[in-house]
Amino acid sequence: MRTPDLLRLPLVGRFFRWRYSRFVLQVPLLLVALLALYDGFMGRQLAPKNFATVSVWLHYRGFLVLAIAVLGNLFCAACPMMLVRGPTRFAKRFLPEFKWPRALRNKYFVIALTLFYLFAYEYWDLWASPWLTAWLILGYFGVAFVVDALFPEGTFCKYVCPLGNFNFTLSTVSPTQIAARDPEVCLRCEGKYCVNGRVETPSGRKTLKEAPNAEGLRFPGCETKLYVPQIQSNMDCTLCMNCVRACPYDNVAWKLRAPGTEAAWARYKIDVVWLGVLLFFAGFMNAFAMVPPYYQLAERLSELLGTRNEALLLSTIFVLWTGLGLFLTLGVAMLADRVSGVRASPLKAVRFWGTGFFPLAFAMWAGHYAFHFLTGWASIIPVTQQALLNLGLPVGEPDWTLAALVPENWLYPLQVGILYLGLLAASYVLFRRARERNHFLAGGIVFTYFFLLVALALWVLAQPMEMRGTLLLPQ
Amino acid sequence: MRRLFLLALVLLSACRPKTGEPLEAEVRFVPEHPTVGKAEICIEVDPRLELTRVEVVGDMTHAGMIPVEDEAHPAGPGLWRVDAFDFNMRGDWVLTITAYDKQGKKYVKEVRLTVP
Repeated sequence: MRTPDLLRLPLVGRFFRWRYSRFVLQVPLLLVALLALYDGFMGRQLAPKNFATVSVWLHYRGFLVLAIAVLGNLFCAACPMMLVRGPTRFAKRFLPEFKWPRALRNKYFVIALTLFYLFAYEYWDLWASPWLTAWLILGYFGVAFVVDALFPEGTFCKYVCPLGNFNFTLSTVSPTQIAARDPEVCLRCEGKYCVNGRVETPSGRKTLKEAPNAEGLRFPGCETKLYVPQIQSNMDCTLCMNCVRACPYDNVAWKLRAPGTEAAWARYKIDVVWLGVLLFFAGFMNAFAMVPPYYQLAERLSELLGTRNEALLLSTIFVLWTGLGLFLTLGVAMLADRVSGVRASPLKAVRFWGTGFFPLAFAMWAGHYAFHFLTGWASIIPVTQQALLNLGLPVGEPDWTLAALVPENWLYPLQVGILYLGLLAASYVLFRRARERNHFLAGGIVFTYFFLLVALALWVLAQPMEMRGTLLLPQ
Repeated sequence: MRRLFLLALVLLSACRPKTGEPLEAEVRFVPEHPTVGKAEICIEVDPRLELTRVEVVGDMTHAGMIPVEDEAHPAGPGLWRVDAFDFNMRGDWVLTITAYDKQGKKYVKEVRLTVP
């Protein structure tokens, strides 16, 4: 059976082959970012009533997981931060271009940035501050500009952007993927245009790599250097569709695939697997930090350590939890390896079994974000009205009682459903991995570990919410 | 250009929102430290202010929560009371007390508290 290709759909293929399609997708998010900056800096500093906090912490995150679940990494495709590309091309005329250090050409730097970002999120209560949220947006644009100006295109997305890498990791469960329509055509392709770019000059077709300054119609290739016939995974794919436009043979497909199953066959590098594992435990922590047992734990830890320094307490909880998670994962993966008769290194064991964390990580974040999005989705209407009113536009009085999309008693069953689906996809990944080894008990060991983690996550999600910025209650 | 950019940064970092006409009021709760559930809010203002209406809106510090809205009733000279304000969730609350005088002038006071 031929795999359905979304680019064969009427209008869809035509739209994405159009050279300004990405720009069209980026403009709405740029306008959202500009309004968030305006309201974040100038509007009322109350998170539920400010466009910056509502759009970023509620709607951006909610739509992001929804888009990933339904289609793919659309938010990287529509990323307004890549609109710095025009100014950076200008800046590159005057600035030297550096190579991204070889030691950082992996996901470890992004892992460190993600950990710092999550710590900052909790410590400075970014979710509660429109002003800091606006600074975060502005800072993000600034870093994107600097990295894009000084390093090759694609460096920021692949090696620096925590948001992009979050999207890459979660989109491994998406139901679509870029692929070659006919791999034979790629074998005969003389220029590998999908990765090297294409320029149609009066003297003929060339790659942008060999003729970067040639005059003619230009089609950039993949910035994160993915070669279409070798793509196994959505990791590092921004869905920019450069490959679709650069391929002169119309040989790139945006194919449908079984969602949540990529991790069963993809061979990720160990740094990528660690990113997936970390995102699960970080997602758990992010949800845990909103329930009473977290604050009780912080109080006990405060008594134990004899300090009320929130940075120290938060760091301790973060390090203990993620460290415990990584340590347990290492141990369980090694045990599964030993049971199946394989005596590989611990890292190889994690690389083999740890891929099951990808659907679990998606489910953890999706369950948490779905809660916030569904409890407050309609609040975007009054906050947008308020921000536009502040700009002097006649948009009517905001109705602040607008909020929920679904009845509150639906939320927990929905979260349970999302986590069960995640566990189901993870168990498929483990089953396939165990079948490779012809040893199902090994897969069962890792599945039991996952089952316990999901049970723990469900316990956290079942707790009453406590939306508190202060870790410890005032004495 | 660089100077303009730096100036813009300084101005942006200085941007803080205007809170409007401040309301001089003392706000007390019964019980003194409210927990999840209903609590009484007493708002004491200068009686010479001649207020006609006092509204209390409670927001949580996280985006997306429905605000709790209530109206205070007069309970003596300069004293306004909300009998059963619904603190429906644990966490950080921001109460916005908005008062109007006879001339329709608006006064605002913000009170932050943590509901354990």
